[in-house]
Amino acid sequence: MSSVLALSGVVVKELYRRKDFYVLFVLTALITLLMGSVNFFNDPKIVRYLKDICLLLIWVSSLVIAIGTTARQIPAERENRTIFPLLAKPVTRAQVIAGKFLGCWAACGLALLMFYGFFAVISATREAHFPWMQYLQAVGLHWAVLGVVVALTLLGSVLFTAPSSNATICFIVVTGLLLLGRHLNQVALQQSEPLRSLVYGIYFAVPHLEWFDLRDFVIYGHSAVPWIDWLLAWLYAGVYTVALLFAAWLIFRRKPLNQ
Amino acid sequence: MKRVAFVSGWLLLLAAGFTLATILGPRAEQWGERRAGGVLQALLGDGRRIFANHFFVQADVYFHSGYYPSVFDRSSAPADTRHLTAAEDHDHVHGHGTTEADDHDHGRGAEEEHEKAMAFLGRPRDWIERFGRHFMITEHTHLQQGKEREMLPWLKLSAELDPQRIETYTVAAYWLRSRLGKVREAEAFLRDGLRHNPTSYELLFELGRLYKENYQDTARALKLWEAALRRWREQESGKQEPNTTVLEQIVIHLARGEESLGHWGPAIEYLELARNVSPNPAVLQAQIEELKRRLEGK
Amino acid sequence: MDPILETKDLRVEYRAGAGRKEAVRRLNLRVGAGEVFGFLGPNGAGKTTTMNVLLGFLPPTGGAAYLFGVDVRQPIARQRIGYLPELTYYYKFLTAEELLRFYAKIFGIPRRVADERIDALLKLVELEHARKRPIKGYSKGMQQRVGLAQALINDPDLLILDEPTSGLDPLGRMKVREIIQRLKNEGKTVFFSSHELGEVETICDRVGIIHQGQLQVEGRVADLLQEHHANLEQIFLKIIGYQPETMAGVP
Repeated sequence: MSSVLALSGVVVKELYRRKDFYVLFVLTALITLLMGSVNFFNDPKIVRYLKDICLLLIWVSSLVIAIGTTARQIPAERENRTIFPLLAKPVTRAQVIAGKFLGCWAACGLALLMFYGFFAVISATREAHFPWMQYLQAVGLHWAVLGVVVALTLLGSVLFTAPSSNATICFIVVTGLLLLGRHLNQVALQQSEPLRSLVYGIYFAVPHLEWFDLRDFVIYGHSAVPWIDWLLAWLYAGVYTVALLFAAWLIFRRKPLNQ
Repeated sequence: MKRVAFVSGWLLLLAAGFTLATILGPRAEQWGERRAGGVLQALLGDGRRIFANHFFVQADVYFHSGYYPSVFDRSSAPADTRHLTAAEDHDHVHGHGTTEADDHDHGRGAEEEHEKAMAFLGRPRDWIERFGRHFMITEHTHLQQGKEREMLPWLKLSAELDPQRIETYTVAAYWLRSRLGKVREAEAFLRDGLRHNPTSYELLFELGRLYKENYQDTARALKLWEAALRRWREQESGKQEPNTTVLEQIVIHLARGEESLGHWGPAIEYLELARNVSPNPAVLQAQIEELKRRLEGK
Repeated sequence: MDPILETKDLRVEYRAGAGRKEAVRRLNLRVGAGEVFGFLGPNGAGKTTTMNVLLGFLPPTGGAAYLFGVDVRQPIARQRIGYLPELTYYYKFLTAEELLRFYAKIFGIPRRVADERIDALLKLVELEHARKRPIKGYSKGMQQRVGLAQALINDPDLLILDEPTSGLDPLGRMKVREIIQRLKNEGKTVFFSSHELGEVETICDRVGIIHQGQLQVEGRVADLLQEHHANLEQIFLKIIGYQPETMAGVP
């Protein structure tokens, strides 16, 4: 376990020592503040559009951070040859996968805390109330889904050599799942066999990432999701995360590493 | 020799400079004009209409607090966005041309129709859909108690991107003046719309309503509605299928305005015009008879 | 005495185009405790492949390899070894101190012990002054010395060094040689590959020369020199089949 924690610690350090995370945060803050400064019909109480834009930017940034950070982990270890002194220590490849996952996920969690903290401050300055329960649920599910995204990208990084191609593919897949996942059953119904069964198969097989997007609940001030459903969603994300990590390990454990 | 080469080089440079200036001058002016039309307009070109439409729909999404059909649910989605103002606006649109009972029935009918259209979710088809509904908004509500203000940024952005979209101005003005008490802002927005669409009878009509209902300035309202009627005639009368819905509203409002000033004659004329295009002419005929009696009594 | 490092009929095959290429052929090596063993061979002879197997980077096609009597495929076999790769690349965003602390954590070394060891190692490799600086700002020699420090973080009983002096300036080479000598004096076992045959001759107790995947010669340096009546370089060149005119007289 200490190896896994040590590896994850390095990943977290890497995130906060690189500039891209800060660039994304500053960009999100800048755009939000810029939009917040626009005067719409002299009404300072208007807030939802600002929450909407800020949360959209947070989601985009979090996906960029999660995919960008994870996609380069193992390829960079191989390219920079840091994998060799690492694996020459008593570290298993499963521990490398677990450490990388934990580090990327923890880094995403830290980034989320910072982003949502900013969001909370911005909305609190405009709104009189602070629906912390909805915020907590939104951050929690957002973090859970990033676990799936990180595991998926890690799997991609042991499959594809180039981090850029892996990042692009993962970004397309994740965006596709977020936007279309919910509707695949409707799409299936409009197809004829055997395409219908295929689309249905995909619908049941893919992780439904859209469940984890509680932006509408936060923006429109709807009441919180029942906690039991929230926990079940976490469990669902956990199952997919473990399955993806297991697949990544299956491929990585047999991968020859030539110096 | 060197001096000649130096001088001719300078002359060539000057000539090239002047030629470039004559080419770039008009282009720069054009750019300046485009900038005056808005940075977004200059940047996005005609693609801005797509964004404008998206933002207008976004306002509708906000009106329904996030409960809104996606492109995959479109078959049962609301076909137009009249419900944005129509649900609360039956008195304005239909009140003068119909009886109160008719109006009530019509309002309830439209509401039911809207409710039906918004029941796009249906029964969940599988466990994924059933469980997924815990994480999406499944309740059909409309903004109220001043929360309508939340739609305004999207309407403003939509108007910025497509100033020719009349509906954006009328919808925003309606909420500004009727629910948010921002009559001045509504007027300014409508006038902004008129600047971009000087021949729009819808905007003139809406501005007239603002003067009548919010400033109680009937004389000014009548002038605006008369202008709206003129514009309507210029643009619509030659068409095979003219927009009679707006015409009916204009002339009924004109009739009511004249009636309130005691001008029975013009009021009768406007009502007769309305009767010709109304789906409920009997009600209008009864009102015409009533006015005629008053005119004779006078 | 049980060997610290042992290979038994070790074979490694690669896929090369449509066919397969044998990189290591039935290699049998035994390195005892406290020995400094020089593993020599021309480029492509199979040295790095053998090291890759010993370190668990590559699975052997046949035969077996053991470290401290444990199959190299078991991660625990690497608990008591230190490894310095030929080209040293480390997490450049970390400082030398952070890098050593990271590897100490991997070995599960308690923090207090790790602190002491980091101080001692940074002193040994003369990097105390740069301990708080990110590695990305280090010269090649400094990076090599950090590499050596990380290889020693767990106070290993066996050191596997892949061309430890390659690319270093004479001063850097001398320092690395001194460190190896010091480790030898401390009784550590060192298994290293090098092209610097003079250096091998000076430091090593025993050498093995591999060519085309097969171990050609193995023995004590002194015995080999006596047996061949030549220096190590001449023996090496003869084994790999290089026969310049100047070597015509070498038996």
